[in-house]
Amino acid sequence: MKRLVVTGGKGGTGKSFVATNLAVLFARKHHVVLADLDVEAPDDHVLLGIKELSNREEAKAFLPFIDTSKCTKCGVCAKVCDTGAILMPPKGFPVVFPRLCSGCTACYYACPYNAILKGYHVLGYSYVTKHPSIENLVLVTGVLREGEEHMPPVVVNVKKRAENTARDLLLIDTGAGTGNQIAISLKDSDLVIAVTEPTPLGLHDLEAILKITYEMGLRTWVVINRSGLGSIDKHVETMKKYSVEKYFHTPFHRDAVDSYVKGVPVVEYKPESIVSKSLYLIQREAENTLYGDGND
Amino acid sequence: MPRRIAFVTDKGGLDDRIYERFGRAPTFTIVEVGDNGEILSVRVVENPGFKAGSGAGIKAVQKLINEGVEVVIGPNPGPNAYLALQQAGIKSVSMLGVTVREALERFLHSQ
Repeated sequence: MKRLVVTGGKGGTGKSFVATNLAVLFARKHHVVLADLDVEAPDDHVLLGIKELSNREEAKAFLPFIDTSKCTKCGVCAKVCDTGAILMPPKGFPVVFPRLCSGCTACYYACPYNAILKGYHVLGYSYVTKHPSIENLVLVTGVLREGEEHMPPVVVNVKKRAENTARDLLLIDTGAGTGNQIAISLKDSDLVIAVTEPTPLGLHDLEAILKITYEMGLRTWVVINRSGLGSIDKHVETMKKYSVEKYFHTPFHRDAVDSYVKGVPVVEYKPESIVSKSLYLIQREAENTLYGDGND
Repeated sequence: MPRRIAFVTDKGGLDDRIYERFGRAPTFTIVEVGDNGEILSVRVVENPGFKAGSGAGIKAVQKLINEGVEVVIGPNPGPNAYLALQQAGIKSVSMLGVTVREALERFLHSQ
């Protein structure tokens, strides 16, 4: 199984646009699992024209419960808790604040008296939905519950489900930003495609994400979306600095917007559009790199 | 019995003003007060909540617990700090826009 991750740092650059179109193109030859790990705002299903998500499962994270028959009130659990989710009152047993718990299990392992019981709380949900018309395309979607602060456990959970579902290609669409959950999404990928745009903000956030892919030693390409809007000289400089292998353009063009309005990926909506052609090129190169004879 | 009263402060000390935020305040100024309202000691301690990534309110209250504080005077605590203070049995008194010295006088006067 190959792993391709679409990311980009900045929000609104077209990560989901590139990811959904590549998923459709790859599905013409491969079994594709598209994992929407933008758990705060998952919307790949909208872009793919999937009306309803199915096969819901809970995304659980560890939550400590105190076994008061064993607890000696030593306070070690509160000391090791990095997120401040455990309070040690002057008298009485430790108090857990579930909203603050990231599920790291440090307290469970630190307790010398085995007084921490392994409970869990539901931080979000995952869905596995078959595309209604494209046979080889399965969408795995992660959704963070409203008001929850901790994305990483949900992303780990949903990614695992996507891995178990994937056979030939796992295509991951990450959220915006460069947080822990993005690093989790990027981990173990064969190829990363960072989507950006020719604006100062696009440049700034491109550098942020490239720092991470560079540090993680991941093979990285860049897609300049809405190409033609502005200069990319500095983008190219930044790419060199972080050993980006190659970069592509997807043009700033009405067809891309129209496909969004229709709710159909542009490669299906207007296969002859220059926008679609720019995506064919990216897909072909990625195909060669991931499944080629290895001489590239 | 001397009582320990904590003030939510920036740099700390009797002449510092009460800081606007509870959990994220840089320091607590802990004043020990005798039975007749006389100041026995003044100490400035760092608030671990100031640099905390998350759970600042809880970490701040844990510090107050560990310091043996009975009353904390400062801004209204946030939701987490509020619950933690309840659990800890520490009384919280809201006062803003005054120095520690003034806040202490007002508090002792109200008793």
